[in-house]
Amino acid sequence: MESMRKNTKGQWIALSGLVISLILIGLAALANQAAIAGYHSSNAALEFPKENIRELNSHTRDNARIIKDLSFEINSTSNETIPFIFEQLFDNYSTQIQNLYASHGETADVSLVSINSTNGTFGIDDIDLIFVNITYNDGSTHYVSQPEIIEVR
Amino acid sequence: MNNKAQLHTLEGLGAAVLMTLTILAITQSTMIVTPQNALAVDVQLEQMSSDALAVLDIASMASVQYNLTECIASWDMAEPTYPTGNLDNLDTALSYLLPGILYNVDLAYTKSGNLNVEKVIINGPPSTNAVVARRYVTLTNQTVNNMGGGWSLQDDELRVVEVRMTAWKV
Repeated sequence: MESMRKNTKGQWIALSGLVISLILIGLAALANQAAIAGYHSSNAALEFPKENIRELNSHTRDNARIIKDLSFEINSTSNETIPFIFEQLFDNYSTQIQNLYASHGETADVSLVSINSTNGTFGIDDIDLIFVNITYNDGSTHYVSQPEIIEVR
Repeated sequence: MNNKAQLHTLEGLGAAVLMTLTILAITQSTMIVTPQNALAVDVQLEQMSSDALAVLDIASMASVQYNLTECIASWDMAEPTYPTGNLDNLDTALSYLLPGILYNVDLAYTKSGNLNVEKVIINGPPSTNAVVARRYVTLTNQTVNNMGGGWSLQDDELRVVEVRMTAWKV
């Protein structure tokens, strides 16, 4: 005990304290970085309008088929041509989509480019592809699909 | 008395101060960790809500009694009175898909150029960490007639309806 009291060579103890302190500082820095990275990744997942874009795309695809079927129904009781009716209905759909997206601060536009027919006529089995331009913008994310090719047969 | 260890003592003191500061820094960093957890819950809740609406929308007739379009088409256009909603088909399906989650559902649509937003399921006021999931359905006169709904559509008319679900955990 007496020899320990007189021993003034405590360098190893002091050095150990310093090393432990540096390790703790490193761990604290890592913990902070991990927390900040988690915050930013969660925030990015919330901010990015993945579902909105996916929904706009899939809904437009579904609607092209609905509009095709409805066009033939209307055509059976009117003198208008299929392309004309299709265009009218698609314009109406586009306007409704624009208004609904605008109601929560987003701009979405779906516009009909062309109706493709296998043989130039517009029978129910002849229309196979619809070409549509889709754009979406929520202020930070801009999405464009020009043209979106939709198979409707 | 022994007075030869002043430098060692100072080193020890320096190490103690460093350790104390480090522990303080770690303790303070929990303030950053907390919002991360809250946001992670929000991300999960938003995904679950979107998935629930998507599942209802694209489900085959064999797996669900009524899909999302049919549920919306069956609406009688009457405003519900809390706590009872007036879109029971949708409420039943959503409560099965989202256990432990409360939600309100609004329908938004344009009619004669005007935007209409109607409440169809009301489960109370949303909490501060509520998220919104949206899904769009298109109604025609045929789908409405098949489900006996109250939408008055012409034969040549289609109506895009935004199903807006506000979901939160309690």
